[in-house]
Amino acid sequence: MSEVSADVKLAGWDGGTSPLRASYGKLFMWFFLISDALTFSGFLSAYGFFRHRYSGEWPVPSTVFHHFPFLEGHHLPLLYVGLMTFILIMSSVTMVLAVEAGHRNNKRQVLVWMFATIIGGLMFVGSQAWEWSNFIKGSEDGAILYENHIYNFEVDHVTHHSNKEIVVYKQEVLSKEASAIVIAGGEPIHGANLHHNEYGHIAFADFFFFITGFHGFHVFSGVCINITIFIMAFKGVMERRGHYEMIEKVGLYWHFVDLVWVFVFTFFYLL
Amino acid sequence: MDEFNDPFPNYEMLAHHDEAHGKIARKKLWFVFWLLLIITLVEVFVGIKAPDWGLSPLFLKFFFIGFTIVKAFYIVYTFMHLGEEERWTKWLIIAPFTIFILYLIFMMTIGEGDFQKTRRIDGPIETNVSAKHSDHK
Repeated sequence: MSEVSADVKLAGWDGGTSPLRASYGKLFMWFFLISDALTFSGFLSAYGFFRHRYSGEWPVPSTVFHHFPFLEGHHLPLLYVGLMTFILIMSSVTMVLAVEAGHRNNKRQVLVWMFATIIGGLMFVGSQAWEWSNFIKGSEDGAILYENHIYNFEVDHVTHHSNKEIVVYKQEVLSKEASAIVIAGGEPIHGANLHHNEYGHIAFADFFFFITGFHGFHVFSGVCINITIFIMAFKGVMERRGHYEMIEKVGLYWHFVDLVWVFVFTFFYLL
Repeated sequence: MDEFNDPFPNYEMLAHHDEAHGKIARKKLWFVFWLLLIITLVEVFVGIKAPDWGLSPLFLKFFFIGFTIVKAFYIVYTFMHLGEEERWTKWLIIAPFTIFILYLIFMMTIGEGDFQKTRRIDGPIETNVSAKHSDHK
């Protein structure tokens, strides 16, 4: 195990020292993450362009996501997604603590922190499922689909109760007569899916499902990989190898998932 | 292994450290955790209060994106240990995104992101349904 000591000569090839001084496994995890991050960058850029193009019809996130478990009927924007962010940051910390314990060859601590990371990941995936189900189910009042345009009911900003006789189009309140025509001739819709979105432009729903779904898929596969690594560490595979670099590589992936969420959180919920 | 004359050292063995060093490392990690938590709380608070305070959208964009980049920096630099990698590794990883961000800024400012230009190509967009309804008044 200690065949490589501090005075080891880092000779990579005949030309001299290896320029990157990292194992190929770790480097290729980085290269994978670069390409994956560029994929997410593409998605988020597309989201930004669409949002700019249809800014009038784009839903305001705080009117869409304002649910909190066990506190139904309250208007609590951003709090639940803030909690989800906290869960993911917390699991990122436990992951990096597992990596740190691995550097000390402390198997027991690695297992404890890896277990905490898996729990955090499962909690996050569950939260996302809850968020999706709320979005799909939609609000109590729903909206009106009239000539391929979405009309929302006027909402009182203080009480958060909606007036079911007046509709709003692109943040513009219509007159009582115009509202009556829309309500009589339109089709009531609830929630969001790939065909319509009661909160505004359909592209918002498409992007929401696609980007958070793709991210959620990353979290889910991250949890699966974490479980695999946990079992490997438990069986003492890393102990026999003499190092816990596997934890570090998986940790890179896990932190990347956290990193993507930081951006998704900003662009979908805050802005 | 000797017959292969493998000149590559086991870099993964170099990552080991002792308890004293581990204590310092852990302290740094928890510091970053609290920093990320505080930034997130500030963001959520401002996000909730922004409609009441009437802050300008442009300010909010810079505010949120700025904090996002700060958070991203700390995640990559300490959690992913990029700060401990070689100088060239850092460049290898950061350079593609630097180029991408510059490209994006170009696209949004003088490229096709300027929708005033594309609108002229599309022809006028009529989606002003509320104007249509004003006939019924």
